[in-house]
Amino acid sequence: MSAGYRQQPNSARKDGKRVAGKQVFPPPGSGGSDPVMKERDLNFIPESVGGKEPQPAGSHIHDRIRTGTVIGKPLPLVDSNAKVTGQAWYGDDVRLANESIGKILRSPHHYAKIISIDTSKVEALPGVIAVATGADSPHSFGVLPVTKDEHAMAVEKVRHMGDLVACVSAVDEATAIEALGLFEIEWELLEPVFDPKKGLEDHDDPIHWRGKYHLAKTNVQKRVFQEFGDRSLVENPFSSSHGKWTMAGVHHGFTEPHAVVAHWDPNGRLQLYTPQQVPHYTHRALSTVLDVPMHQINVIRTFVGGGFGGKSDPFPHEMCAAILARKSGRPVRITFDREEVYWINRGRHPSNIEVKMTADDEGRISGFDIDALIDGGGFASFGHVTSYYNGVLATAPYELGSFHYTGARVWTNKPASGAMRGHGAVNTRCAVEVGLDEMAEEMNVDPIDLRLANLLPPHSRTITGFRITSNGMREALERVREGSNWDEKFRKLPLGKGIGIGCGFFISGSGLPIHWDPNRFPHATVHIQVDMDGGVTVHTGAADIGQGSTTAVAQVVSEVLALPIEMIHVRSHESDTSPVDLGSYSSRVTFMNANAAIRAALDIREKLLDAAWDILGYHPNTLIINDRRIYYKHDPAIGVSYLQALHKAQEDKGALISSGSYRSPPMGGVHKGAAAGLAPAYSFSAYVAEVDVDIELGLIKCTNVWAAHDCGKALNPLAVKGQIIGSCHMGLGQVLSEKMVYGRTGHLQNANLLEYKIPSIHEMPHVEPIIVESSDPEGPFGAKEAGEGPLLPILPAVVNAVYDAIGIRYNDLPLTPDIIFKGVEKKRKKLKLEEATELPSPRFTHGPKSIELQKSLMKRSQEHKKRDLARQKTEDTSPYVNGVLFGFDPNIPLEDQVEGWRMATEPDPEQLAELGLAGRAWLKKEQRQMESEK
Amino acid sequence: MLMPPFILHHPSTVEEACKISAELIKKGEDFDWVSGGTDLLANYKWRINTKPHVISLSNIPGIDSVSNLEIGCMARLSSLEGSNVHPMIAEAAGKVASSLIRKSATLGGNLCLDTRCFWYNQSEDWRRSIDWCHKADCGTGSDCRVIPNQNTLCVATYQGDIAPVLMVLGASVHLIGPNGERVMPLSEFYQLDGMKKNVLEKGEFLLKVTLPKDSMKRIGSYQKLRVRDSWDFPEAGVAVSWLEGDKGSIKVATTALESIPREHKEEVSQIIAEGWDDKSVKALAGAIRKSVKPVNNTALPPNYRRSVVQVLVKRAFSQIK
Amino acid sequence: MVGTEYVPMTPKAAKEIWSAKVNGESVEELITSNAILLDVLRDQVGTLGVKRGCDLGTCGCCTVIIDGDARLSCLCLAGQVAGSEITTVEGLSEGAHLAPIQSCFAEHGGSQCGFCTPGFLLSAQALLTENDSPSDKEISCAIEGNLCRCTGYQQIVDSIKAAAEIHRGEAEPVQPASNPHPNPHPEGPDQPSMPPGHAR
Repeated sequence: MSAGYRQQPNSARKDGKRVAGKQVFPPPGSGGSDPVMKERDLNFIPESVGGKEPQPAGSHIHDRIRTGTVIGKPLPLVDSNAKVTGQAWYGDDVRLANESIGKILRSPHHYAKIISIDTSKVEALPGVIAVATGADSPHSFGVLPVTKDEHAMAVEKVRHMGDLVACVSAVDEATAIEALGLFEIEWELLEPVFDPKKGLEDHDDPIHWRGKYHLAKTNVQKRVFQEFGDRSLVENPFSSSHGKWTMAGVHHGFTEPHAVVAHWDPNGRLQLYTPQQVPHYTHRALSTVLDVPMHQINVIRTFVGGGFGGKSDPFPHEMCAAILARKSGRPVRITFDREEVYWINRGRHPSNIEVKMTADDEGRISGFDIDALIDGGGFASFGHVTSYYNGVLATAPYELGSFHYTGARVWTNKPASGAMRGHGAVNTRCAVEVGLDEMAEEMNVDPIDLRLANLLPPHSRTITGFRITSNGMREALERVREGSNWDEKFRKLPLGKGIGIGCGFFISGSGLPIHWDPNRFPHATVHIQVDMDGGVTVHTGAADIGQGSTTAVAQVVSEVLALPIEMIHVRSHESDTSPVDLGSYSSRVTFMNANAAIRAALDIREKLLDAAWDILGYHPNTLIINDRRIYYKHDPAIGVSYLQALHKAQEDKGALISSGSYRSPPMGGVHKGAAAGLAPAYSFSAYVAEVDVDIELGLIKCTNVWAAHDCGKALNPLAVKGQIIGSCHMGLGQVLSEKMVYGRTGHLQNANLLEYKIPSIHEMPHVEPIIVESSDPEGPFGAKEAGEGPLLPILPAVVNAVYDAIGIRYNDLPLTPDIIFKGVEKKRKKLKLEEATELPSPRFTHGPKSIELQKSLMKRSQEHKKRDLARQKTEDTSPYVNGVLFGFDPNIPLEDQVEGWRMATEPDPEQLAELGLAGRAWLKKEQRQMESEK
Repeated sequence: MLMPPFILHHPSTVEEACKISAELIKKGEDFDWVSGGTDLLANYKWRINTKPHVISLSNIPGIDSVSNLEIGCMARLSSLEGSNVHPMIAEAAGKVASSLIRKSATLGGNLCLDTRCFWYNQSEDWRRSIDWCHKADCGTGSDCRVIPNQNTLCVATYQGDIAPVLMVLGASVHLIGPNGERVMPLSEFYQLDGMKKNVLEKGEFLLKVTLPKDSMKRIGSYQKLRVRDSWDFPEAGVAVSWLEGDKGSIKVATTALESIPREHKEEVSQIIAEGWDDKSVKALAGAIRKSVKPVNNTALPPNYRRSVVQVLVKRAFSQIK
Repeated sequence: MVGTEYVPMTPKAAKEIWSAKVNGESVEELITSNAILLDVLRDQVGTLGVKRGCDLGTCGCCTVIIDGDARLSCLCLAGQVAGSEITTVEGLSEGAHLAPIQSCFAEHGGSQCGFCTPGFLLSAQALLTENDSPSDKEISCAIEGNLCRCTGYQQIVDSIKAAAEIHRGEAEPVQPASNPHPNPHPEGPDQPSMPPGHAR
């Protein structure tokens, strides 16, 4: 109907002559490069507003602003041309005139006091431009305000081998390296701690000292206790499982090593170029360390060659570059060798995790009991949060009778652990999902049915009080079951071949903006500016690290304004021009930034529609905003081009500008740590993995993965699929081959990409990405995160598949061939078999009782399916909290219904004796407590 | 990573190469040979045993020839993959590192591969922090970090793929240097010391490999154990071949388990000569397991590597019967 | 006690004139005798599209095409390839026109963070120049030396297959949707985006 409308009518001047004294005023152009308006693409306009896009999960508040332009369509990243032509500029590609090269002197000791540093020989070396040591930067910093324990360079002592001691800038790299050898340093060696278990004990020189809050003289940085629910349900379980896990630390393995360029401009402002996921925290930290107000610093985020959490801390080398540049008045460029990347680390914590779980005779999960001791390395980083995440993110998507968690993070003399894709949730998730598999095995029921019968519904609350909104868990499980032909394969495959299931649950944006009160300041802000040329400039601080956040922001603006995406220009590199944004972590960008962008775009849209109303005389309610044209609903011939409307709107004020922000709703409980893991929405996922195990050599080959992820709404299916497949790759690395190896001397033995074994293309299975769209009521067009959650399920799916293949449970990650071999040999000897190839395959051993239970689980999940659908479509809006499955009334506080319903954040004295490994941190007292008892 | 300073020499004939090396020896200057550079340059970037001079063989025409009886030292591994050389050589060459590395890496370089150890293949900063190791930093008087307080031998592991295959095909190596050319069976080329590695004298380099006429008639198999099917060096490798029907011709060699690749003549003659069946293969596998002594200096633990040698032997034999 | 010996990095090695053809243009640089090709290309020739990922041959980010072969520039002495024809990512496109492999990487999600992309493009281009109908195995073998941490390789393989189709003439070259100027000079009266008052 609307095809063929030119974006701009022919020239208003028919004679073509110029009127004397008057400038020709040609009619406004159309914007965009296609002169003809595109028809509305009804396939991408939701059913609820007259389009053809199916909405199985119901309508969404943003439906009315959909224009069918780009949302839901596979779209190349808007910066992909820069990337495929080599023009994308990463950290080391910033080359400023008169640059000097910085190098960092690193500690050769694991733990030592610096008695003195003599830099005179360094300074005397020709070609050396500036030298700095810890004395140049006494201020501490850290990513979390509660744990600022880092310095630009070591002050007083070094805490791990590779810790920063001093830095130097010189005319070239050779001179800078030469200079590093000329520092004369006197050390006093201290007794290092490598084993996290030792970190729980008192030490003569704890790695950090927290004053009156320090826990005795231990190296415990953070301890957590949480207990919720009815603990009596755990007694006399019908079924139980118990897993004691050792998980090696893993690294993000991004391909771009850290690099930074610092330059103090002629006005005395710092211009700092760095590949950062979270430029704002760097901005804050620089201000503190350099003693310069934030407005005198411009943090320029370069293209980021992969982040995955590893580029989200403010880094000491960023400070070093700024300090050297200030001292010398010349730009300084520091680029890491790969080895230094491992020394700065911030990878996933090496973890000792113990998970006990129980189920009752109806196959309901009566308790999760988790103990997680995590090895934080030399600094706190994000560890405060990780300590919580290891427990609280492991409960959902399941409805539990009770939950008990003890966690501790200890400092050791190793490179610091931090946040990595799936922050804190990955390791315990693996342990929990394998535990469920084990219970299903014991009960002789199908593990998918066991899960389906214990899921929390949409619009409910988890046992720790998280608010679940949309929830596509059930659909995800059903679709991987179908896609993988699960029922024909599980427990039926020959020896060496196996299939396994795993689920995931992750936050879609941390509900707490770390540096401010969410009630007083929004999470994310986006500015839009439209000038006379019609191009839309979007200013955001969201850091594109390859996940496509720039594309997502461009997309939502394009969608709301119905403009081709090439007319949207996102400016996100500089803190000078972008509003404050917390950055790319906790999977917050799509949810929070896109929401802010929608709000800003809506403001512009309204102004355009008002202008069209002025020109056409039709109320905005009757106008349709389509591809660069606004027209009357009932007669598309009556309309104005986008530029006509724009210029009308600009008549009085010039450029249109708007600002939009996102603020999370109030949510969550009031207990200590209630904010950890709190998010405005959660993503869900379920994967089935198929493996071939070479039983004699112990080699595992993952062959197929069916990966269903509930991302609410796939704004860009191409990008979502890319995230899912990429997550599989990263997770497979952790489960099969990647580990940071610390040798008997405490040295990191494999700080390179040859020995740190990231899977090559040959190790990649075929991944079938399955997008589940549960349409989140608060997400932008229904979207939730898709960047981190998809990593979680692959680990347990593979571990469970290995069990299905060879009947052996493994609790050590990664499952390197020697580990598998050891397990096989042990079992072979136990069964007195001649060859490993004679091992029995695990099979169902159904009895009448288990058949009965299986049936009842299937029946329950069928009932729950109906319940979930009604709740998802908000046909049923009754409250639902964790506990309803156990017969509790959601309308009455649970503690009023059950005597002994726990909601504790500290152990009772009588519990102290029975706490797990990490729980032993609760046996120690804080210094202030010890003093007051004296 | 910055390359430490050295002078690169580009001889354009074998004679010139020998002349340059002779002159450098005369002047008392130390040097290395470089062919593809994929092994040497990585070590140099780590500043491991760097020398002030490096002589490149890449400008010498004619020493990269590939035929089924003779392969020049500069033959790229990628050119062996699809060539008419013995299929075992093509297969083993195709399993080395990654396709990108194989475009640069050469046969000569692979045979003369430096031995590897995770206390050794580390940066200068790293090695300093363990107070060096006796292989990497000759002259520091440091101890071995793998087996402290041992004798002066270095236990770094030889992790080349092609040597065991050439051994079981009966290959010979031609060495050339200022003092002329010499030929020897490949199985005598290596020396059981991770530092010395092989019999090359200062100034000598490996010019070519020749194979006996009957080698093309040999049927064989190379089994490589590695974690990833790209990049990784072998964690263990077994090559087996025979002239079909002739038990006396069976040869077995292993790699990546010691400081040298090794042909297991004794075990083979004692066990398989008696008769070839599942039982004797198992016995042979056990004997080889006993004879190799891997140490803890590669990605996978030595006990495991030693155990699965048996599986590799078994599989290799099952492939060729 | 921890040793203090360092391999000296200065004085630098003697310099020599190095020439090669980089992206079709003859270049001459004064390089040190020990120079690594990657360093020469990034720091002297100025082709910053050649990326330094691991510097030790295990990530493939620094891949360039040397005389038709995709090779690692980080483990290549510049002196050994003097006089060669070298193609970097900057040399793939013809003027403003992307090569099929480039547009397909954009179109099919072959590039996320983009840091490994130049290396993959060159490995893939070297493959496609030799063989425009590669099998799955040939594709995976060609890119086995390139490490990608973002994509899980699957969309990279899709991209290479799509580019192969274009090479074979079975598909039209695609311009990625985000290409701002698929048709830089549209016919007809509407010159888009002209602000009012801007005389033509």
